[in-house]
Amino acid sequence: MIRALYSAATGMAAQQTNVDNIANNLANANTAGFKSRRAQFHDLLYQSMVQPGTASGQQTIVPTGLQLGMGTRASSNEIIFTQGNFSQTSNPLDLVIQGNGFFQVLRPTGDIAYTRDGSFQLDKNGNLVTSSGDMVQPQITFPPNAQAINIATDGSVSYTLPGQTASQLAGQLQLAVFQNPAGLNSIGQNEYLATDASGDPIIGTPGSQQGAGTLLQGYTEQSNVSVVDEFINLITAQRAYEANSKVVKAADEMYQQVNNLSQ
Amino acid sequence: MDPLTIAAAGGLRARMETLDMLANNLANAGTNGFKSDHEFYNLYVSPEAQASDSPGTTTTTIPVIEKNWTDFSQGMLVRTDNKLDLALDGKGFFTAKGPSGPLYTRNGSFRLSPKGELTTADGYPLLTDDNKTIQSQSTSPLEIAKDGEVQQDGQVLGKLRLVEFPTAAPVDKVGNTYFQMTDPLSKPTPASSVKVEQGKIESSNVSAASSAGHLVKVMRQFEMLQKAINLSSQMNKSAVEEVAKVVS
Repeated sequence: MIRALYSAATGMAAQQTNVDNIANNLANANTAGFKSRRAQFHDLLYQSMVQPGTASGQQTIVPTGLQLGMGTRASSNEIIFTQGNFSQTSNPLDLVIQGNGFFQVLRPTGDIAYTRDGSFQLDKNGNLVTSSGDMVQPQITFPPNAQAINIATDGSVSYTLPGQTASQLAGQLQLAVFQNPAGLNSIGQNEYLATDASGDPIIGTPGSQQGAGTLLQGYTEQSNVSVVDEFINLITAQRAYEANSKVVKAADEMYQQVNNLSQ
Repeated sequence: MDPLTIAAAGGLRARMETLDMLANNLANAGTNGFKSDHEFYNLYVSPEAQASDSPGTTTTTIPVIEKNWTDFSQGMLVRTDNKLDLALDGKGFFTAKGPSGPLYTRNGSFRLSPKGELTTADGYPLLTDDNKTIQSQSTSPLEIAKDGEVQQDGQVLGKLRLVEFPTAAPVDKVGNTYFQMTDPLSKPTPASSVKVEQGKIESSNVSAASSAGHLVKVMRQFEMLQKAINLSSQMNKSAVEEVAKVVS
């Protein structure tokens, strides 16, 4: 009886986590470069009342036994790295990665973080920075009078100076790829940190062997959250929560009847 | 105690265990690859009663849940478009290398380890037909064919070991949607009629509607048995107070 109450409670807790996750995905439906997360659940341990495979007679064994489960738990919410849609902005500093790569940015703490949000800006010194001001690595600096900034699909950044026709090279963008991008650590502001689970970054120029992908100038990558899918998940999560609460109620009523047995 | 109370109390206990099972099923309605459990009622006959073959005596039997059976029916395949999500269509299991022997699962939400090994969500490497693991060679996506063959950049990395359990072989749930074979003598056989679907995941096969119906049934039966116990106690009470009344 108490088992049923607690199993149902674990189910309710897991569905709450699920709704939390859906809420965050929906809240970020318009965040450029955002990757949705998907909650995963696992069943908990089983209490064996009758062990399967034990002898039930001299020649026979119990084929399945009696096992009572202890409920569920939210095990992980992995990041789904599918490509988001592109939206055209015509801003020369907006970049999209067509592939699995990440831009590298230098955080104020000195760590290198990784992002797919390519809506870059210039700081007062002419450095290419993210919208939160973190400098893109390797560093790319433009002179104040730079015009016609061009970023090629292979990541080479060039500009022209007024009165000149030949373009100048400002730098070369590089992309990082990970063996297991789902193991990256989200730190907010569309940035991720490498972890032991993600493996070390493999750095390469866009379009090279590593599968990092190529760059596209003048577009931003929209969030990969599918609002329809999230709403469907929300409905199933809500109904599962309801079903578990019904079990709590049933367990309570049955418990009450047991208490009424002695008159 | 009188036979009625004993039988009814046994029934109450069995219904409680049914509710435990039902609670676990519903709690796992969102667990990918989960297979629901169902109870199997039986009658408990005490060994003494079994031994006495004297005609004309009725033995008290007590309803108990003797065992549960797992409903291995197919869960719905949900499209995720994630290359590392695999679903099995048909009878079969993936084989993972557990800490103490192989573990079998239908939860195909897989990962790549930092070293590039294909693992389950808990980090147990998946086994191939030749008892090896799948080692990714680059960061290109893995392409997995219907028969479980894993390719990357056109190169074959191995074929996932897909098995099925022989009928009536004891299978144990060990949590985290893993199954284990409890009898060391029985071995799983290669799955014959299973298809691997990449970019899909098998959801739990718990049916909310039938579970709700079951819940009502269990509650009503519980109520009925409770009434039976009350009735029996009233009968005892009348027997003591009314029948044995000595008229002075």
